[in-house]
Amino acid sequence: MLRVYYGNMPGAIFNTSVYFKNAYEDSWITDPVAKEMILDIDKSTVLGSAVIDSPVLGKIAPTSLSGGVKTLILMRNEREKVFNASTCGDNCAKWILKLAEDEDLTINLRHLMNFGNKAFDICILNTNQIVHSMKELVPIAGLYV
Amino acid sequence: MKGKHRIIVQNKRIRYDFEIKRNITVIRGNSATGKTVLVDMIREYYENGTASAVDLQCDKECTVLEGRTWTGQLSMMKDSIVFIDEGNEFVMSDEFATAIQNTDNYYVIVTREGIPSLPYSVGEIYGIRNSGKYGTLKRIYNEFYHLYQMSDYIQPVCPNKVITEDSNSGFQFFDGVCKKTEQMICISAQGKSNIFALANKYINEDVLIIADGAAFGSEMEKMVRLVQENKKIKLYLPESFEWLILSSGLIEDNSVMDIISHPERLIESREYFSWERYFTEQLIQLTQGSYLKYAKRQLNPVYLQEKIMYKVLAVMKGIKFDTKFIE
Repeated sequence: MLRVYYGNMPGAIFNTSVYFKNAYEDSWITDPVAKEMILDIDKSTVLGSAVIDSPVLGKIAPTSLSGGVKTLILMRNEREKVFNASTCGDNCAKWILKLAEDEDLTINLRHLMNFGNKAFDICILNTNQIVHSMKELVPIAGLYV
Repeated sequence: MKGKHRIIVQNKRIRYDFEIKRNITVIRGNSATGKTVLVDMIREYYENGTASAVDLQCDKECTVLEGRTWTGQLSMMKDSIVFIDEGNEFVMSDEFATAIQNTDNYYVIVTREGIPSLPYSVGEIYGIRNSGKYGTLKRIYNEFYHLYQMSDYIQPVCPNKVITEDSNSGFQFFDGVCKKTEQMICISAQGKSNIFALANKYINEDVLIIADGAAFGSEMEKMVRLVQENKKIKLYLPESFEWLILSSGLIEDNSVMDIISHPERLIESREYFSWERYFTEQLIQLTQGSYLKYAKRQLNPVYLQEKIMYKVLAVMKGIKFDTKFIE
């Protein structure tokens, strides 16, 4: 299940781009799920562990991926850490839910990400309540951001 | 700094073209729209000039503020447009809000978080849109677009409850309107940060929330989400209550049209952290010594006279108060 702490969370990694730059491993980039996320969010194709083909920027290094995709890759690979998911736009929401499908995933959000119209299970850690829709989520989470 | 400033920044692959007109502009939106690329290009041009292969056209210097030494960097930035990328936690601090007050820079901040310590306008929150106009040149053209429009409602809004951000003259005015209708109730939220919690209590009622759009930016995202999920709640966000009065035609002075039409030409960012302060000051000055004399703390009872009240309410297009009492 996806577990979300809203608002300022001591210990969460705020600047995910810097963390990614110093922590990522080649295998994280060539992982099939990462490839899918990169294609979906950045519209870019992974050519190898060090080269990604972006339609706008040309051939780029993994460090030049969007902030959202870098954070998604971190969430997938370092699950024991809590990352600031407010570096992800709404177009990353479905991937966050997917990453939490088989295994609990804890993230920190400092804004109200839109998790879409489909039903979901999210535990709001601030109040320990489980919500299933944006209609349920917004009144609770909005008090903490 | 005052006025509108156009910024064109481009390299061989990508081009941004946009205008900013207030001291604080916020950029947010989906991932991979080019927010960080924009800030990187500004930084590269600032550091290396034309040798960066970035071309930047603007009548003001554009620079980037970042990292732990931000206070020292800021002290050297004058009359500049200052970009701050996400990942710089200092933008959330009171220290930053204090430091940028009384500076003559404009600030463009990339963040999805609301920044309660900064009074930014709901009209100056943008996303970046790829318009593809330069597709044949293999250069992507990016422009800013408003994330939240402040347009008037198309369908008339008929509230039975009004929540005001204001606890002073603005509240006293709308409280007076509600009392005259005998069917509506007006509640003061006593500040913008209380509006969300208060609105949550009335999600099943026809509630109209009136707040100062000039400084409501930090609350906007969660309010929009609340309104999307609860259709009976409506937002009305004029620049400020004083702007409403200035726009009503009650004040007969040649300067009023300029004040409300092109405030960016008149408002010096060093003097006014938020435009609402400017409108308040102008209204006080323009009504000094007249029967419409305005004070922020205590509403002059003349504004509760029916004809005057009606003129102010007429500015709020799309909002239908039960004004039978006027006829």
